[in-house]
Amino acid sequence: MKPRVVSPHVLNLAGSDRWPGARAYRFVIDRFLVLPIGAFVAVVWANTASESYFRFAHALAFPVNQIGMALFFALLAQDVTEALMPGGALHRWRKWTLPFMAAAGGLAGSAAVYLFYVSAAHETVLSPAWPIACAIDIAAAYYVLKTIVRRSGMIPFLVLLAAATDAFGLLVAAWPRWGEPHPGSLLLMLVALGLAWRLKRGGVRAFWPYLGICGPLSWTALYLAGTHPALALIPIVPFLPHEPRPTEVFAEPAPDDAVHRSERDWHEVVQIVLFFFGLVNAGVLLRGYDTGTWAIMTAGLVGRPLGILIATALAVGLGLRLPRDVGWREVIVIALATTSGFTFALFFATSLLPMGAVLTQVKMGALLTVIGAMAAIGVARLLRVGRPAPRRSHAAR
Amino acid sequence: MRKLMTLLLVWVAATTLSATQALQSDPSSSLKFAVIGDAGTGRTPQYEVGERLAAARETFPFEFVLMTGDNMYGSQTPKDFVVKFERPYAALLKAGVPFFAALGNHDNQSNRFYEGFNMRGERYYTHVVRQVRFVILDTNLMDAPQLKWVETVLSQSSEPWKIVVFHHPLYSNARRHGPNVQLRVVLEPLFVRYGVSVGFAGHEHVYERLKPQKGITYFTEGSSGQLRKGDMQPSDETAASFDQDQTFMLVEIAGDRMTFRTLSRVGQVVDSGVVMRRSTN
Repeated sequence: MKPRVVSPHVLNLAGSDRWPGARAYRFVIDRFLVLPIGAFVAVVWANTASESYFRFAHALAFPVNQIGMALFFALLAQDVTEALMPGGALHRWRKWTLPFMAAAGGLAGSAAVYLFYVSAAHETVLSPAWPIACAIDIAAAYYVLKTIVRRSGMIPFLVLLAAATDAFGLLVAAWPRWGEPHPGSLLLMLVALGLAWRLKRGGVRAFWPYLGICGPLSWTALYLAGTHPALALIPIVPFLPHEPRPTEVFAEPAPDDAVHRSERDWHEVVQIVLFFFGLVNAGVLLRGYDTGTWAIMTAGLVGRPLGILIATALAVGLGLRLPRDVGWREVIVIALATTSGFTFALFFATSLLPMGAVLTQVKMGALLTVIGAMAAIGVARLLRVGRPAPRRSHAAR
Repeated sequence: MRKLMTLLLVWVAATTLSATQALQSDPSSSLKFAVIGDAGTGRTPQYEVGERLAAARETFPFEFVLMTGDNMYGSQTPKDFVVKFERPYAALLKAGVPFFAALGNHDNQSNRFYEGFNMRGERYYTHVVRQVRFVILDTNLMDAPQLKWVETVLSQSSEPWKIVVFHHPLYSNARRHGPNVQLRVVLEPLFVRYGVSVGFAGHEHVYERLKPQKGITYFTEGSSGQLRKGDMQPSDETAASFDQDQTFMLVEIAGDRMTFRTLSRVGQVVDSGVVMRRSTN
């Protein structure tokens, strides 16, 4: 019998079975549900005591969006890196071309529909917000698909598609926007990377020296360069210790080694950040909807799925093959599962747009794209994807 | 000698005071302007408001017109500038009355380069007429440079009257949009700190005057072309409102008093009153 591994959790709330809410807590944490909970609290607060909410949100926007979210993006990068390693869940996935082409189609579809919508409405002030329409909430899409199918080639297809889409969005969000970069920023980044390399060479297995020493240097470098500093830890991630993740992509890894145990702690810290991210950014007044809201929704719910389907059809027409257990019905469900922009759309919105009326209406559109998740589940049932055909009763026979 | 000096001082003080009073009561020293908002539809009501404005100027010779945004709806081609701006206000433009515009959500951002709007290519700008500083903002995109600029302009201005003009109202009791509280949280402390007396906004297609909020009187004038009939839901904050017809405002500033009248498209006075200047300390 294997000895039980005791996880040295930072918070250790779920580590104890004696805690009555442990299962509910674990459910919420594992499915990244803290962010929707934070968003829900924000919407209620903003619409009941709006002035106190917006004061609070304004005060916390910088520490949460620019500093805290760095931990989230680093964890996401770490998850994907480990999934792609030999022995990782996505390592055997050789057919990358097809999901990448589908991602390009989704990007083109959502951007085109968004720009067409705002131009038809003659509200060109909304045009710069097009990358927000392209965002896919990668975790939401993953869990929507996991609700439909337990294990299928659909899942890596979707993860790669969403990761490629959001990587593009992050590049746009990270593009330096305010004048000439500070001359010291490149030097500072080189110091951060050099230190990370040194730590790796020294065999440092704990995460915190990388995140706590190299992270702030990299953050300052990006900030001085006029690039979004929330992406500061991504260049550090390749130097972190890695262990392949053979099971799930986003789920907490089993506490089977020091690296995965550290990742579990990290995962829980990120949940706190995500709660505050939802709380600080999702509060919109319900009457704040306008053209930007409908444009983001139409782009996410119609433009992206259509773009993905057309691009996939083109790719197949060019000779690429769909994964073994994925047919056209499954592709339709995958395309619909990507419709929710939520976390990434909110992040892109706060990165690309300053405060003001445009941001408000676009944020509301980002929140409403969650409707797409329900559509995906409904269509999957209709198309009988991921579920056996409903049993007929004896009487019906 | 001391008595002589005292008499001299009293005489100087008395003549200075009477000169100031004469300046305040002299109609030629007051500043008159009009305010319109959400006007640029190119439809009949906009033209009728334009005619009413021109007629009003015969008895109330306002010097310029402030536009609270959405100066142009729909397509914004050169032809549209004629149909939705130059023709409706042809009489005023011919008389040399300048228009100063704020950008609304329906305005193409490049409209700031249109000469008729006197924005000099800026999204946000300021102009001073006699002792009144007007600060015109772009509330579509309230970025950090603009916020910094607002604070700099307001803190450095020495004019006794400071008036802000922008599209999205910080306070509103219209049903469709309501107040933009997010903007209020960042802008209002600056307005309060640096002695802004009056704010003009649009966006809601109604007319509303708020009771002074932290000492500042806000007007929503968003029905000079568009109209959302019956959209007002007055609250305790509302001092006056009108949502039954298109409106425009006539404003006069003389000394510490700002007198205003809001007229409907048919010339009915729907609101009037006096706003006293706030201290700039």
